[in-house]
Amino acid sequence: MNQTVLEGFSVEIDRGEVERLLGGSGAASGKQGERLEKAMVDGLAEAGRLIEPRGIYLTAAGKDLPGSTIFESLGRMAFCVCTIGPAIEERVSELSSLGDLLGAVILDSAGSAAAEAVARHMDDAIKALAAAEGLRTSCRASPGYGDWDVGEQRALFALVDGARIGVTLSPGGMMIPRKSISFAIHIDRNPARLRSAESCRNCDMDTCPYRTRDPGR
Amino acid sequence: MREHLKACMQAVLEGDGERAEELAKLTLERKLPLLEVIDGGFVAGIREVGRLWEEGALFLPELVMGAEAMKMAMGVLQPALEASGGKQEKAGHVVIGTIEGDIHDIGKTLVATMLSANGFGITDLGADVPAAKFVDEAEKRGAGCIAVSALLTTTMPGQKKVIEELRKRSLRGKVRVMVGGAPCSEKWAEDIGADGYAGDAVSAVALAKKFMA
Repeated sequence: MNQTVLEGFSVEIDRGEVERLLGGSGAASGKQGERLEKAMVDGLAEAGRLIEPRGIYLTAAGKDLPGSTIFESLGRMAFCVCTIGPAIEERVSELSSLGDLLGAVILDSAGSAAAEAVARHMDDAIKALAAAEGLRTSCRASPGYGDWDVGEQRALFALVDGARIGVTLSPGGMMIPRKSISFAIHIDRNPARLRSAESCRNCDMDTCPYRTRDPGR
Repeated sequence: MREHLKACMQAVLEGDGERAEELAKLTLERKLPLLEVIDGGFVAGIREVGRLWEEGALFLPELVMGAEAMKMAMGVLQPALEASGGKQEKAGHVVIGTIEGDIHDIGKTLVATMLSANGFGITDLGADVPAAKFVDEAEKRGAGCIAVSALLTTTMPGQKKVIEELRKRSLRGKVRVMVGGAPCSEKWAEDIGADGYAGDAVSAVALAKKFMA
């Protein structure tokens, strides 16, 4: 199966998303407000310099996911792995060990927002591919979210060669680098409604800290 | 003195590390009673930071700035306190780390920082820590609490191994275990026989205080 690698593209790190991950925009004013603002601006700029967005995907039938039953009734799927690379988490560890926890938490959240932006870029590429054939795409589903058991991450990696973009699985099934996202999308005239991280719109947990700011996307 | 205590509290509350350090130095210059300044000023400040965080009035970087300010003040006062033979009553000792197979670090570090800012002695083992290592360190340090973080459903069972290891060494009665991390919950803590679950750094402090009371 042909696997498509996308790299060398840029993504914008949404400050609002970073603030959401940090729990709000803060109330500090005066000298501390200035320090905080500088830390945010510096953190976002550093994150922008450190990320290396990459993604890989392939299209296959749902039943091609080895050992999995979750998508077997679905026809054409896209399976994708994407990442921002290891540099941000290395720098976060460095800042943390230097005692700059403020810089570390901001950069870590910026990395999470960047990883989400990379996933959206890949999602858009798959949407465009589908649209060119007159088809539509479902929302994203990721192992560990909704009905998709996180244990099936290995099945997804058996299908998609994450190593080609530098993403591997630890013995415990964790993606390395950590700021990586794997997902599946159904491609069809009438795509299935997959439960996923993007299904926040249909979820009753209004106060969930992981609720996306723009659930309708 | 009252004004000084208020200023110390305010410095931590505003996350102003430089000011907190300056006030700590002033405490030494003026030969003010150290324990009183620590408890009535800086500790009162970090307690207030925790309260405001719980109310949602502060966001994460502000919580971190408060803890950092506390740390900077204590960096000045602690050596002087020890040199004077005085002793701040320690809240207890906590061994903390992220369980084996899991390399998420920052949430655990934040919990460790807040515990330290609230007067707990801390042994931070880092990430990817085998269950036996938690227990080895708790035994060595005479810790009353082990805090185990897990950010993945695949690594959560490792938290149970820490409890089993404590039982194996007949230490379960002496060492309390708290669990935390995104996939964990009160129910999970109950299911594996942990003593409690903390959803964030501030509730981890409250839980540790409850354990050590």
